[in-house]
Amino acid sequence: MHAELALTMVVLLPLAGAIINGIFGRGVETADEKSAVGKLATGVVAAAFFAAAYCFYVLLQHEGEPIRAHLYDWFTLRLGSHTIPIGVTFVMDRLSGVMTLFVTGIGTLIHVYSTGYMSEDPSYARFFTYLNLFMASMLILVLGSSMPLLFVGWEGVGLCSYLLIGFWFENPNYAAAGKKAFIMNRIGDFGVIVGMFILMMATGSLEFSGINAAAQSGALKGTFELPRPEMLGSAAGLVLVLLGLGVVAFLRKKVNLSPLAWLVAAAVLGGALYVLFVVSPTVSIATAACLFLFLGCTGKSAQIPLFVWLPDAMAGPTPVSALIHAATMVTAGVYLCCRLSPVFMQSPTALMIISVVGALTALLAATIALVQNHMKRILAYSTVSQLGFMFAAVGAGAFTAGFFHVFTHAFFKACLFLGAGAVMHAVHAHGDADVRLLGGMRKHLPVVRWTFLLSCLAIAGFPLTSGFFSKDEILLGVVNAQGIEGYSPEVSWFVFGVLVLAATMTAFYMFRLYFLTFAGEYRSAKAHGSDEAGHDDHGHGEHGYAEHPHPPEPAIAWPLRILGVGAILAGLVNIEPILHVLHIHPEGEWGNWWGHWLGPVVASAGEGLENGWIYAAIGGTAAMAVGIGLAYSMYGSGTRMPAENPGAFHQLLLNKWKVDELYEAVVVWPMRWVAEFAAAVDKYFVDMILAKATATAVEIGGFLFTRVQNGVVYAYGTVMALGVLGVGAWFFLPHPALTVEKLEGETASLRAAVGLGYAYRWDGDGDGEFDSEEFEGSNTLERTYAAGERKAFVARLGGTLVGAVGGADVDITLPTDGSAVTLRDSELGALWAKSSADGSAPVPPVLRVDGDEVVVRPNDALSGRDGNEFRLKYGESAQLGNRTLRVGALVRSSVEVQNAFGVVRRQSKDSVIFPAEAEHAEARHATVGGAL
Amino acid sequence: MISLGHYLALATLIFGLGAAGFLSRRNVLIQLMSIELMLNAVNVVLVAFNRFHPENHAGQLFAFFVIAVAAAEAAVGLSIVISLFRLKKTVESDRADLLKH
Repeated sequence: MHAELALTMVVLLPLAGAIINGIFGRGVETADEKSAVGKLATGVVAAAFFAAAYCFYVLLQHEGEPIRAHLYDWFTLRLGSHTIPIGVTFVMDRLSGVMTLFVTGIGTLIHVYSTGYMSEDPSYARFFTYLNLFMASMLILVLGSSMPLLFVGWEGVGLCSYLLIGFWFENPNYAAAGKKAFIMNRIGDFGVIVGMFILMMATGSLEFSGINAAAQSGALKGTFELPRPEMLGSAAGLVLVLLGLGVVAFLRKKVNLSPLAWLVAAAVLGGALYVLFVVSPTVSIATAACLFLFLGCTGKSAQIPLFVWLPDAMAGPTPVSALIHAATMVTAGVYLCCRLSPVFMQSPTALMIISVVGALTALLAATIALVQNHMKRILAYSTVSQLGFMFAAVGAGAFTAGFFHVFTHAFFKACLFLGAGAVMHAVHAHGDADVRLLGGMRKHLPVVRWTFLLSCLAIAGFPLTSGFFSKDEILLGVVNAQGIEGYSPEVSWFVFGVLVLAATMTAFYMFRLYFLTFAGEYRSAKAHGSDEAGHDDHGHGEHGYAEHPHPPEPAIAWPLRILGVGAILAGLVNIEPILHVLHIHPEGEWGNWWGHWLGPVVASAGEGLENGWIYAAIGGTAAMAVGIGLAYSMYGSGTRMPAENPGAFHQLLLNKWKVDELYEAVVVWPMRWVAEFAAAVDKYFVDMILAKATATAVEIGGFLFTRVQNGVVYAYGTVMALGVLGVGAWFFLPHPALTVEKLEGETASLRAAVGLGYAYRWDGDGDGEFDSEEFEGSNTLERTYAAGERKAFVARLGGTLVGAVGGADVDITLPTDGSAVTLRDSELGALWAKSSADGSAPVPPVLRVDGDEVVVRPNDALSGRDGNEFRLKYGESAQLGNRTLRVGALVRSSVEVQNAFGVVRRQSKDSVIFPAEAEHAEARHATVGGAL
Repeated sequence: MISLGHYLALATLIFGLGAAGFLSRRNVLIQLMSIELMLNAVNVVLVAFNRFHPENHAGQLFAFFVIAVAAAEAAVGLSIVISLFRLKKTVESDRADLLKH
């Protein structure tokens, strides 16, 4: 019970902090007020840390039995008859427990650091509001028990990331960086949503426990069929249009990109289309779900192809870079993969793709980091690279190793960023610090120097530091991936090789950064003497930085010390592999605490290669040694500078492989053109033709109608007099409006309209003479006609016979002079003709009147009668075509109406009558027909 | 012998004069008088019918109503005319066009 409350508090405390600071923090200016804001923000996060620690303690006591805190029911989804309740439930299990602990722990340290680092900033309260909101979102992401709740956190951290990257939004570049991050993440979020829906459809659950259980019992074994022909045209067309627009933009010199890059883009797109539509592999549900989820991870965790936002995200304040864009948020993708590890294990294809993408990202980012000259930029690419390591591990099925690297990386990367921030703070560099203007910081900032050095050793993988353990675990996991069924050994070795190369580069660029920053002499001090020079907009101008770096204040120094120690020692929770190699077998599980602890909740690939640790250990250690050695030989003296005039390849690396330019050309420009086209459509079609034209038409109509109201009284009077005349004229004439109300057999009810002073006389039998000369009848007449009163015969084709689709009755009035009427197809019903032997067009039937009878010549029509001609009397019926032919009589009644003015008007109405017994005959016939 | 038709013919004549006057003259006073003529033509019809169908006195009663309405109309109409004159210094009906279009 206490644990549940504490777990709820872990999430709600930072949220409360954000709300309080958000509402009451406006206008905070004085140091005291800022101190209060900072203490509140830091306090809630620290309290969340202690609550999390308590929960974790309880978790340890109960051997990993998850703590569930159900807050309320959110909504319920209906999937057919199946309902999926979604509750706001937080769960701390072994995995989320560890994550929560270090997120809140490192979060607390960075909050402390921020109180010092941001003390001069006018938007102090806004900063801590965002930071607390971020903590709350991140904890929802980590602790949410279901995909939708995770997605809430996922979006929340994305929002906070956007807000904090653009924290100094007065600078348009920083605001643009925020937008870039946000949009990139939206692309990924689309993948998460689709992946979530696929999992929901396949497993019928959105809870992680439900999804994972269903995945393990084979719910994801089914396959998707790619709708190839339908999609091919539209998708290929779209890509061609976009590429074409990109080419146009390129030709118009809107983008600066070499033809080679175009070839690469075309090859990638062509390859994707080829795989999708020509190879058209059968994709299992697991693969589809995993790849869509991984698309989300590439956005959030900055992997190829969506990694370009993270380096730009360094526009935010340094604590933000440390907390969000290094230690916590960007690892959410890895966390998601670990959370759903049983799902990912279902698809070796997806795993291989993830590993390769991760390894290539690690290498690409590392190559860029080799030559960059700004502290935070190098660290940003380093983060991308390290995230690539984590995904390579996740893709190799080594989820524990990947997550272990998340854990260790959080310490040393946070420490590195905070160290970089401390340097920038000390020299008054704003935004980022150019290492070419630094140097010699080991004398000025010893605390920063030592913690930075420790973290560099850790990230390079120096033996017994935390990075050493986690990186070797990853390399071991990649080698062991060969044990997964369906995982190609070539892929495993390729990834291993790429990772070792990337690890070498990591060691090199980190120590290059270290030496350039801390070794040698402080270059800005020599160059210029201006104390204010560092305050220019980008912080790396020509002027250099503050002459005398000031030492860090305690709020900055202590988090560095703690994180530095963490960077060294965090690996000890997973020391077992080393002990194993040294043939030390400790009592209990403390040696491999990490693996044992996460084992029950995270899928594992097992051991694919005997003595794989040898490759891992040799590869990792050699990479570290070579990298550090190279860096020391080149930059150890602290005097050598990055090349002033870099070569072509160096320049390409400095330009970050021109990936941004490529996206600009292939995606942004075509999109912009489409947007401009749409804007033009809006402007000229919607606004001009639709809106303006309609408005003009209404205006013209309104103008014309208002002319009538001309203010001339006698004009109004004239119109009124005309109206009165019209009404009078209508009343002057009688209006009979004769209708047949009812017609049954031979009896009809007729009704004429009622009016003032109306009198009626009827001609019921239609012989032209009125039944009485006087106007003495009523307005209704009920009459039973006699057959002799007919004006003509009527042939009614109605009903249906066997197999024919019914239709409305068709009445054909037959001429009294005996001339023949030929029936049409539509009157006879479908398939009316007998099958003809020679295939010539069938001759339709013909009707004519002969005295008291109707002569029917069916010709080729179905008739059910012998002979080529038969006769029907009034009321008789027969089959003709696929319908029933019935002979009726046309009769007519007239009425004359006289009104008070003595004006008389006449109206007639025709009816078709049948004898009463004909109904019975038809009924009999229909019965026979139905039985045929 | 004066028949109903004679009365109706007289009434039609008077009504026609009134309608023609109303439609053709612009002086509001003349127009008001024309309206009076039309109302009185109606009165003649009502009374004439009552004379030839004397079962009840509905016709005469209605004639009184019309007279009352005519009196009220004259009062309101004349006050409007005075207002119009104060405003426009004229009693031409087509100068009273403040509310047109």
